[in-house]
Amino acid sequence: MKETPLSNCERDFLLKAIEEKKRLDGRQTYDYRKIKIKFGTDYGCCFVDLGLTRVMAQVSGELVAPKESRPNEGIMFFNIELSPMAAPTFEQGRQSELSVKLNRQLERCLRNSKCIDTESLCVVSGEKVWQIRVDVHMLNHDGNLMDAASIAAITALCHFRRPDVSIQGDEVTVYSPEERDPIPLSIYHMPISVSFSFFQQGTYLLVDPCEREERVMDGLLMIAMNKHREICSIQSSGGIMLLKEQVMRCSKIASVKVSEITELVVKALENDKKARKAGEKCGFAESLPQERITALKVGKTPVEVMDVTEQANDIVQKAESCSLTVHTRVPSPLVPVPGVGQVGQGQQTTWGLEEEEEEEEEEEEVDEEEESDNSSEQDKKVTKMEEEDSRGDVVEISDSEEEEVVILHPETADKALKNTGSSFHQKGAAPSKQKRKK
Amino acid sequence: MDSALRERVGQVLLPGDEFCCDTDGVISLSDTVRPEKVLCGPGLRRSGDRLLVCKSGVLRHKEPNVFWIDSQQWRYVPVKGETVIGVVAAKSGDVFKVDFGGSEQASLTYLSFEGATKRNRPNVQVGDLVFAQFIVANKDMEPELTCMDSSGRANGMGVFGGGGLLFRVSLGLVRRLLSPGSELRSDLEKLLPCELVVGMNGRVWTRAADVQKTLVLANLLQSCDTMSCSQRRQLFSRVRQGAL
Amino acid sequence: MAGLELLSDQGYRLDGRKATELRKVQARMGVFAQADGSAYLEQGNTKALAVVYGPHEMRGSRSRTLHDRAVINCQYSMATFSTAERKRRPHGDRKSTEMSLHLKQTFEAAVMTQLYPRSQIDIYVKILQSDGGNYSVCVNAATLAVIDAGIPMRDYVCACTVGFVDETPLADLCYAEESGGVSSLALALLPRGGQIALLQMDARLHQDHLETLIEAAMTACKGVSKVLDQVVRQHLEEVSMLTGE
Repeated sequence: MKETPLSNCERDFLLKAIEEKKRLDGRQTYDYRKIKIKFGTDYGCCFVDLGLTRVMAQVSGELVAPKESRPNEGIMFFNIELSPMAAPTFEQGRQSELSVKLNRQLERCLRNSKCIDTESLCVVSGEKVWQIRVDVHMLNHDGNLMDAASIAAITALCHFRRPDVSIQGDEVTVYSPEERDPIPLSIYHMPISVSFSFFQQGTYLLVDPCEREERVMDGLLMIAMNKHREICSIQSSGGIMLLKEQVMRCSKIASVKVSEITELVVKALENDKKARKAGEKCGFAESLPQERITALKVGKTPVEVMDVTEQANDIVQKAESCSLTVHTRVPSPLVPVPGVGQVGQGQQTTWGLEEEEEEEEEEEEVDEEEESDNSSEQDKKVTKMEEEDSRGDVVEISDSEEEEVVILHPETADKALKNTGSSFHQKGAAPSKQKRKK
Repeated sequence: MDSALRERVGQVLLPGDEFCCDTDGVISLSDTVRPEKVLCGPGLRRSGDRLLVCKSGVLRHKEPNVFWIDSQQWRYVPVKGETVIGVVAAKSGDVFKVDFGGSEQASLTYLSFEGATKRNRPNVQVGDLVFAQFIVANKDMEPELTCMDSSGRANGMGVFGGGGLLFRVSLGLVRRLLSPGSELRSDLEKLLPCELVVGMNGRVWTRAADVQKTLVLANLLQSCDTMSCSQRRQLFSRVRQGAL
Repeated sequence: MAGLELLSDQGYRLDGRKATELRKVQARMGVFAQADGSAYLEQGNTKALAVVYGPHEMRGSRSRTLHDRAVINCQYSMATFSTAERKRRPHGDRKSTEMSLHLKQTFEAAVMTQLYPRSQIDIYVKILQSDGGNYSVCVNAATLAVIDAGIPMRDYVCACTVGFVDETPLADLCYAEESGGVSSLALALLPRGGQIALLQMDARLHQDHLETLIEAAMTACKGVSKVLDQVVRQHLEEVSMLTGE
């Protein structure tokens, strides 16, 4: 499916908000979204929620013949699936650029950093070794798939237990989980990736971009570290130019974030271990009755609302005090056609002849000056959606030949509404520049 | 059938529920027989002499004889006459291709703006937001939009959107915002002065005095989707007190 | 490979170089008549060939045309005889696709694509002999090819791979050093402004060493840029001599 195009207005707004250090969901520039980690019933299955981005990782193991060049080492295989469930633009089966990029980044982050002791996966040198396969599935894409995938992959690897084996001479016996407890993998360290997005040619930096921010960003820098402050992988992508100081700053921020996230992962693993020991039922199906996963549950967004209402109250008070003047200033709504309401003239067309525009602007300035004597400046920006029934006098211009529009609304219609035939189709466009009718 | 429908107004109905014409078998010759007419809105379908429910939702009623199912949905299907917010995706010759979130892109000719002539072309760029209404919207043809009404006036439609934020809400919330006497809208008015453009395709554009207030407003509206009336009032009063 | 001393006590590496010494760079521009721009570059034993076509009409998917910029399309492939073992899949596997994406990203930052909207620039790079530092050699060869094609760029793009052994950064790694488990950092730099077009690092490195490593990489890149600059000037002299002006 084609991606919905990003409008210029959204792009401009996002960039302006970023310049003012404000993000869409109220986070600070270096804040991560809320991370939730849940485990499935089997060992090695885990779900990670990074805000609304949801990812699932599953680890499985089997005995295979080793690679000829490395007969003593086990094999690690990583696979990230971008399923169309996550976003309508992902196509099943096709290897898109994003999927290659994510796969390679995860491989480099986990394999080249040697976080798992591959020699301990060897059973019979040259003949049988464990092949550990990590499959990561994207379930919902709301930005920053890489970080979610890396957290899910390393958590699942820490959670996984492989069956115990014993060797007697030439025979290899694999014990099922009932016969002997499965043993965990030996993991040296936990690399976690942190993504930084750059805006306005590298002037502004955000950690953990959400999907909208990803669409407006110039480029992305991914730094994978572990809690011992060792960098496991750095990758810059997108066409941005970085400076050395920016990279150093990002690495410092990354070390702080990685230690926080590692704590979270360790705690989640411990909780799960305790729960399993205590015999509690655990797993994905159990999360449902406890309402840990419900689509309708929306987390609280900590948007700053501090001085908003003071100003709002001011405006409302001032508006009420000179309500009479406001009434006379604002023209009564027009109803050109049943089912359509309009206040003011609508948007100024931007493509009229320039001279006329200047004249119009002058006229408007005069208007606005008059107005400012009576009401405060902020009133000009007060463009409330008028309701025709409450104001009373409605000018109806019905010379249209369009057929009668039937509007459906549940309550019994009042008489006023019947007269004006309003409002299921009422336009919400209250313009900023209003040409006053004299 | 009218009575059967009236009984169940306000109840939740599921696809497969049906209403039959109750034929008594005895037709009285003395009483005047008035033919019952029932107007079916969205969600109800006629099949033979039965009325089938095909969407899940609450049955609503409007005098004298209109019934429909009020259902919740996120994906918009174009309907003639509805006004939507679209994003200009491409310019090909005389026609703009506008994406409004439906199954295909709608076409908008440059002549369907107020005051546009062959010489005087409107200033529309790729990526601009337009508020337009459908003139052609059925399942067999490509949808077409226009930015003027039948008398040739703009009526509030056209290109807009400098400096505000566009976000998505469910179609139910849009209908609630646009219905007359909407409590949601009156509560919102008392809270923050703002500009609001509401498209029937679930897209809402808003602009307030500064970036912070615009973000607050956008987040409030998006969360109103899943809140009941009392919860919403609580939230608004908390915002009014300046703490969240 | 373990047991080979990557850096001896006297400061000499496996091939006798010092820690900050680059391999010998030899390059030639304009090797093909058919292409708009081409270059051949040898850095030590690694040999790469780069060919540039463009800017030309969009081919393939018309939908990917950008209305305000040119699209850069890169393809990286290795000759089957380039490595010690015969390479079965020269292109199309994940590593090559990733490399192509990195090249594309590097050149999108450097080439002035705003001058050619709705067009496409193709860059094809082939490794003829691989002895470490594949990505860097590709970038250097492609830079020369783009200059040869006359496409305007902001600056030279020079790349170098550096590694970290015994607290010392080693510039321009060869294959033996790369596969020895050394932390390697590949950096593509625009030397005049000191801007980094691509930064890529694998294997574990403590955060404190990062700065020294990046510094060493930038110095090495600036060294490479001097050599490339010389090559370009020489080529221009030859061409101008031939045209008789």
